[in-house]
Amino acid sequence: VDEPSEEPRKRTKNKQRVLLLSSRGITHRMRHFMNDLEALLPHVKKDAKLDSKNHLHLLPELADLNNCNNTLYFEARKHEDLYMWAAKTPNGPSIKLHVQNVHTMDELKMTGNCLKGSRGLLSFDKAFDNSEWGRLTKELFTHIFGVPPSARKAKPFIDHILTFSMLDDKIWFRNYQIVEKDPLQPNGPPQTSLVEIGPRFVLTPIRIFEGAFGGATVYSNPEFVSPAAVRSAIKREKGAKYGMRKL
Amino acid sequence: DDTVPRQKLEFDNKIALERIRDTIKLDPSISWTETLTVTYPDTIDVDVNDDLNREVAFYKQALHGANTARSLAAKHNFPFTRPSDYFAEMVKSDAHMERIRQRLLDESATIKKSE
Repeated sequence: VDEPSEEPRKRTKNKQRVLLLSSRGITHRMRHFMNDLEALLPHVKKDAKLDSKNHLHLLPELADLNNCNNTLYFEARKHEDLYMWAAKTPNGPSIKLHVQNVHTMDELKMTGNCLKGSRGLLSFDKAFDNSEWGRLTKELFTHIFGVPPSARKAKPFIDHILTFSMLDDKIWFRNYQIVEKDPLQPNGPPQTSLVEIGPRFVLTPIRIFEGAFGGATVYSNPEFVSPAAVRSAIKREKGAKYGMRKL
Repeated sequence: DDTVPRQKLEFDNKIALERIRDTIKLDPSISWTETLTVTYPDTIDVDVNDDLNREVAFYKQALHGANTARSLAAKHNFPFTRPSDYFAEMVKSDAHMERIRQRLLDESATIKKSE
């Protein structure tokens, strides 16, 4: 096996394929959200739900069977919390993120539209370059959300842009259609404007692991509080109020 | 009495992060047209709860990206604009777009009525 020595030369082409799948117990909204991603990313291969939440080590193998070198795995907990694992398979790294404020394309009444399978531009704001974990996240997201030219269903034109912005220690995602003609003066000079397409979501990084779905933790977000802890804190506060009234 | 706050272990192993990025990163000599990635030279500095300004900041980032990408595409001789006679399946179906249009019409009708 002399693959590692050959690899650097191979990388002059951006060859990416992403396996997309979820755990059991996702809600209809999470399912529609995944369908949105599938529609936007033509290099994605969707697979059936993974049976067990405790056997994530099966995922690299599954990705390999599907000829994918990236995996996007959605894990639903308690039918309300959604986590996203973004991993390079089989050798890692992987990032676990908490997904919040999901609005699917269907829900948002937005007038933007783009070709199914057109390659989207990717835009990252400067904050990604200000930290080591941000740079790694940017690299990984470039692999996963960037559509390679070799994608089978890719179209030869660009008509939308995906943006990742860091704000409040979270990563905000937006998707806009690029409109180059002013509808009011179709023969005028080209003037770029944008119309949002959707979906929208916010990601909170939780941890970065060295391996694919496991291995040593190399980054953990000190600001992250699990949604279960937030809920229990709210309940405890309400309980304390009742406790006061009882006295 | 024994409320010692449980200290969460924090990790930020910069050396390992950099090493890992080195193992996965794409060849720097790779053509821009392979990834189509652009970087916005600013950070987003707005109040998170200010919906309007936040969306404006995101819009600005995307607009900057689109314009940068268009000039980069011209440099690489890469087709950018979709010709107006190029038709293919869209991510939102015609039925979906019609639903959105109808909704907008309904909304403007309600506004007119109330005026």
